Amino acid sequence: MPVMNTWKYHPSPRIGTPVAESLKSFPREPGMLAYAVRSIAAVLLRAWLRAYHRLRIDGRENLPASGSYVLVCNHTSHLDTLCLLSAVALRRIHHCFPAAAADYFFTSLPRSAVSAVLINALPFDRKAGGAQSLAVCAALLQEQGNVLVLFPEGTRTTTGATGRFRSGIGRLAAGHDLDVVPCHLDGGMRAWPKGKLLPRPGRLHLRIGQARNFGHLDRSPESVKAVCADLRRCVTELGGENE
Amino acid sequence: MAIELAIGNPVFLRYVAITGALLVVSGLLLAVLRMTGRDVSSPLSTYRGWLVMIPIVLGTLLLGREATIGGVTLLAAFGFREFARATGLYEDWWLTGIVYLAIVALGAVTLMTDPRLDQPGWYGFFMALPTFVIASILLVPVLRNRARGELQQVALAIFGFIYFGWMFMHLGFLANTENAYGYLLFLVFAVEINDVAAFTFGKMFGKRKLRDRISPNKTLAGSVGAIGVSLLLPWLLWFSFPHFSPALLILTGLIVGIGGQLGDLVVSYIKRDIGIKDMGTTIKGHGGILDRVDSMIFVAPIFFHMVRWFSGAG
Repeated sequence: MPVMNTWKYHPSPRIGTPVAESLKSFPREPGMLAYAVRSIAAVLLRAWLRAYHRLRIDGRENLPASGSYVLVCNHTSHLDTLCLLSAVALRRIHHCFPAAAADYFFTSLPRSAVSAVLINALPFDRKAGGAQSLAVCAALLQEQGNVLVLFPEGTRTTTGATGRFRSGIGRLAAGHDLDVVPCHLDGGMRAWPKGKLLPRPGRLHLRIGQARNFGHLDRSPESVKAVCADLRRCVTELGGENE
Repeated sequence: MAIELAIGNPVFLRYVAITGALLVVSGLLLAVLRMTGRDVSSPLSTYRGWLVMIPIVLGTLLLGREATIGGVTLLAAFGFREFARATGLYEDWWLTGIVYLAIVALGAVTLMTDPRLDQPGWYGFFMALPTFVIASILLVPVLRNRARGELQQVALAIFGFIYFGWMFMHLGFLANTENAYGYLLFLVFAVEINDVAAFTFGKMFGKRKLRDRISPNKTLAGSVGAIGVSLLLPWLLWFSFPHFSPALLILTGLIVGIGGQLGDLVVSYIKRDIGIKDMGTTIKGHGGILDRVDSMIFVAPIFFHMVRWFSGAG
């Protein structure tokens, strides 16, 4: 009598990983419930930004239609991330990853859950120059159709002026065929300054500039510096900041 | 079931008192054991898990019928999620999506009023739902024109829905009965005590393995002891269902004692066949959601139908 073959199971490799840790790990396991929650949250977020903050987005046509790209923006408040997420097409929301400081956004279970499920944040390790996290970003951008949201200043400004751009974006872009889209958000500082628990109503204006590509440069430290300076100039010019 | 009713409900208050007292006593016991220098790290983390779970369960029941049904629906959905992640079914978004929707539908018909009988909970639809869900699941391979490996996927989805969704959701349907607090509190309490009793009797007297190829930690002594405790509990907690006859008390004890252990063993052999230890890591010190609620899956529907059979429409 023939004996039936046993079934082949394929358990998730993270079946024994504690919840807090699997939220922190990246790349994330695609889960249907998380996708559903994130999609609903994205729609609600867009409605809230329109109604409460009168968000205006200029230059959406500058976003590359296909391929992976990076969005860089000045960083004045948490609203920056939310506005950039709302600028990306809704169907790409699960492939849009804001780089978020692991030592801030992934410190407790509720925070990690919000960051991972709602924001789809990429936990970025700011220590040791972020070399390891930059490698994760680079791998992400090698795949098709991913969007990385990066704040090259590395932290929120407390003065309103755009700070120095750290070298991470330069190292990602210099000598690589990668589109980097400079953006500037105006009004975030007034609406949600650092240290305040909740945002106040206040107009927001997001300007999206033309994509830059630094594939023609080499990968030397000078080029990295040049990329950072160029992108910072693009961002501040978009916002009309005076040097 | 409603907040005002719960606060004035002697059954609810008695269970709050009983679980509170048990937590205090077992906490003190652990503290004493720790002071005598024993290693209590494992029972301590299980105890911490209870400290979180008990207030959540009691709080949900306190909030009333809708919250209870919603809570059971969430447990069913997340329980199925664990099963899907353990087997690999989670990679099939069509099938898992249908099962999630079906579990939500189960919650919805449990909340609805029966349009013909004008009673809370649409019983007829609840019982008919598996037909439509199974049909929808079976149609998926046809729609995507694929045969290789589909029988396994479809079978896993149907099993996951029927067992972790439909059978477990009978617990939520009990919230529609008039004696909801008594039934729900007794079942949750008795099933967990049954688990604890099996563990304790096994540790103290266990020698012969109950089912050595399924769950090597379970012993015959533990099983017999647990059935004994479960037969005793309905008499001690008779106030939960004062209208029950002694015969029904014995039947209830048997359902909890035998059904609880069978549910446990079923999830054990599923895990063993897949080759994993726990279904998940959601509850610290307990494993996954399914590792905690597995004993309820047989008990809830059988107890529900016993109540329905012997007290009319319940």
